Amino acid sequence: MTSMKILIVDDSITIRRIITNALKTVGFPETIEAANGKDALEKLASANVDFIITDWNMPEMNGLDFIKQVRANPLYSALPILMITTRGTEHDVIEALQAKVNSYIVKPFTPQELKEKIEGILKTVQVNTV
Amino acid sequence: MNQQELEGILQKAAELKVFCEYGERTIPILDEVASFVREISPAIEDLRAVVEVSMVNIPKAADQLARVTQATEQASTEILNTLDKMVATLDEVIGSVASGMVSSEVGIATKKVSVIVKSLVDKSGWDEDIVKLAEAWDVHLQSLRMSGPTSNLERLLKDLQNDCTEIMMALQVQDITQQHIGAVMGTIQAVAEGLRKLTTGFFSTATAESLPPLPAMLVQTEKENVGDVERKKMVESLLSKARAGQL
Repeated sequence: MTSMKILIVDDSITIRRIITNALKTVGFPETIEAANGKDALEKLASANVDFIITDWNMPEMNGLDFIKQVRANPLYSALPILMITTRGTEHDVIEALQAKVNSYIVKPFTPQELKEKIEGILKTVQVNTV
Repeated sequence: MNQQELEGILQKAAELKVFCEYGERTIPILDEVASFVREISPAIEDLRAVVEVSMVNIPKAADQLARVTQATEQASTEILNTLDKMVATLDEVIGSVASGMVSSEVGIATKKVSVIVKSLVDKSGWDEDIVKLAEAWDVHLQSLRMSGPTSNLERLLKDLQNDCTEIMMALQVQDITQQHIGAVMGTIQAVAEGLRKLTTGFFSTATAESLPPLPAMLVQTEKENVGDVERKKMVESLLSKARAGQL
């Protein structure tokens, strides 16, 4: 179990609940949720977030624009970001990586896959910090 | 283009024919034009009928797709609610089984003895013999958990909990389906827009203005031509390249 607080950004309530439950089963019980990028930026300002999981296709502000805003803000620019989306073309992945997402999962995913991605990102972030 | 406009064209052609008596070579061409207009007139009428029906049916189809999405989302929420309750109940039962507190007479007696042993330890001020008794009781409890139906029950309950998680994860299909329906809606919207332009620009009927708007949905227009496994491999390959600074 870890006390890391994870922000889940997805317009689908179903997916937010699925990610929340999957995170609980792999030892990340502390989560907060946002329905789109705009909502997520507000949550970032009010909560102490350690990690972001975001979808791409969302109303008001999509995941890619949200990531760009996070990376442009010195307060949050170093936060690890994992994108979980149905968008699975090579062009999509490259675009997300260019927006400086740390890692990428194409739905559907398993709790184990989620755990491995999060741990992989945290390891990389720690190495870079050291 | 309506019948009246077509007749107007034929009339103009006839007038032109009169004015062009001097140019006999142009008359056959004008005859051909008139003949062509007569031939395509029924085809244009047929096309107009098809377009008008499509302009009514397309928003209906889009609305039906939107309803499918709403219905599957509602069903998924209900399934998730039930699964949440099941997982919570299983948590409680697993907790009881793990501590040997199964709801049987033996379980109730075991629970009572455990409480008494704990109380004895506290009251005795950690007397050596009482502590030994408590340790022996703990060993006895562990052997109870490891043996017989209780340990099997705990394993079975955990398996059930894992099954609940798997059902939850399978509900991702709702979101994936919604995204694909969104892509279809995008195509439908593009076709409807084309027909709308056609009706306003060519047929000049009131159909386009009277059409209901298509339901709004997120549109994903990206083509995805590979399967899940190949797609995940491609993603991993790109992530490796990015990590190596090769993107």
